[in-house]
Amino acid sequence: MLFIALKNLFQEKTRLLISVGGVAFSALLIIVLVGLYQGWQNKMGEYIRNLPADLWVAQEGSKDMFHSVSVISLEDENKIKSIEGVSQVAAFSGRQLEVDFNGKQAATYVVGFDTSSRVGGPLRVIKGKSAPSNGEIIIDKIFADDNDLEIGDRFPIGTEEFEVAGISEGGSLITFQYSFVTKEDAERLFKLQGVTNYFMVTLLDDSKSGFVAKRIKELIPSTKVFTRREFVDKNTEIVTETFLPIILVLVLIGFAVGVAVIGLTIFTSTIEKSREYGVLKAIGIRNSQLYLIVVQQALVAGVAGYLIGLGFAFSLSLVVGQFVPEFITLFRVIDIVWIFGATLLMAILAAFVPSRRIAHINPAEVFKA
Amino acid sequence: MSLIANSVTKIYDKGRPSEVKAVDNVSLTVNPGEIYLLMGPSGSGKTTLITILGGLLSATEGVVTVNGEDITKLKENKLPKFRLNNIGFIFQSFNLLSALTATENVAVPLIAKGVSRKKSLEQARSLLKILGLENRSNNKPADLSGGEKQRVAIARALITDPAVLLADEPTANLDSKNGHEVMMKLCGIACEQNKSVIIVSHDSRIKEIAHKVLWVEDGKLTKEEEGNHKKVCPHENLV
Repeated sequence: MLFIALKNLFQEKTRLLISVGGVAFSALLIIVLVGLYQGWQNKMGEYIRNLPADLWVAQEGSKDMFHSVSVISLEDENKIKSIEGVSQVAAFSGRQLEVDFNGKQAATYVVGFDTSSRVGGPLRVIKGKSAPSNGEIIIDKIFADDNDLEIGDRFPIGTEEFEVAGISEGGSLITFQYSFVTKEDAERLFKLQGVTNYFMVTLLDDSKSGFVAKRIKELIPSTKVFTRREFVDKNTEIVTETFLPIILVLVLIGFAVGVAVIGLTIFTSTIEKSREYGVLKAIGIRNSQLYLIVVQQALVAGVAGYLIGLGFAFSLSLVVGQFVPEFITLFRVIDIVWIFGATLLMAILAAFVPSRRIAHINPAEVFKA
Repeated sequence: MSLIANSVTKIYDKGRPSEVKAVDNVSLTVNPGEIYLLMGPSGSGKTTLITILGGLLSATEGVVTVNGEDITKLKENKLPKFRLNNIGFIFQSFNLLSALTATENVAVPLIAKGVSRKKSLEQARSLLKILGLENRSNNKPADLSGGEKQRVAIARALITDPAVLLADEPTANLDSKNGHEVMMKLCGIACEQNKSVIIVSHDSRIKEIAHKVLWVEDGKLTKEEEGNHKKVCPHENLV
């Protein structure tokens, strides 16, 4: 009966266009929203995820790098190093700053790192020096573009000015980006004397993380130890907790729009063809076969709309991403698959009302001229 | 015997003030190869009777047997399959599916029966050829004349080789030439394919091909007369 579904669908091309267009719009909305959510979540955690730290040691009570302050004595570094199974310990100092620059507020998270070990430095330097000297700063490409900064330009932090020595990638936090200075500059800027914000701990054996975390806690009770995964999750919570409910609502709206558009167009078509469905019933075609025709029509419109929506979503993210750096999307296969599943569900739900209508058609009515 | 109706009655709104007896104690027997013509004024119950005989409407009382099966005892969900296999319908306004070609329209019942699409279309083409529509098989209903549409509808009714054909005003929307052509096709089908044919019509010309003419008034069979089938049927003469 698929051929009847297809013929019915393609008979009224304008209606088909509206139906497919509606699904395409709704699929586009859902794919882009989910892509943005995943993209942001991934981006937020990208820098921390790629640092060589199996464990993060923070001050007890510290939540994440952005909403609380963690201060730990540098003397504790040796205590951690003494624990069996620890390979390397590196201090991590960083602070979110907002600077008046060229008449606007420029927000950045300044990280001070040890330029000799390079631990905690930028992920990918795309221009200039890969490690700053004292008085120099490496900034993120998005930050550079937003603030018209180039290599050699000077950028103020507090009462000091830093020369842009390099431009990096992989350090965007959507609303602000990471910048990198030397450990010495950071200690001076943040007035960190004998203290740091975090310790990054590298282990000899990953499976020993539980043991090492427990030992750190025993030796330095005023600390809290996070695994890499936990620390990434804590620092991306702002996306999951703030944006997820909003995105869920928007995804549901997109889903409802899709159901409504397919449902209305298929329902209109069913009403228009109710006499033909009556004839088919009179001939002896079962209700289930007629439902199948309606469901197939909805599914074909749904799948076509989904594919168009998917194509648009990829194109849109490519094009918009060029002009709006914050438009960061990540399309995961699993998301593409579940959204396809949701589109099929959309089509099946949309076919429900028209199918009910068919069930109520009296085949004897076709004898009326 | 292909179709037997025994004391069939249909009462709408039974027991209410608006109660109407649309069919009143009708009995008839149509043997294979016979054409019965039901005539009567509008609202006399002809169409109600034909829908009961076709298993589209349940009778309040009485028994209808088609091809040996009492359809009044068949469960609601068994009726569609029974109709598909045993009864062919021809409607006044053709009722073809507008999105499908003539061949596809004819093939629909076979496809619904589970025959492959390719085989169904092949059989539909053959049937259209017999009905003189081989050159119109790829046309959609909108591109066919009234006579052609009715011949497609006849082909659709015949494709599953049913024992009974029920035709409701098959010539009403046709000019005299096409009307005559359709009449002769129905006559040939009854005679050559041994089908029981019941035609509801106001068109008195159909008397020519009918074996019997039954008059329906107020839901009752009021008069029965012989048709002219034996005198005019070219197929009968050939036999």
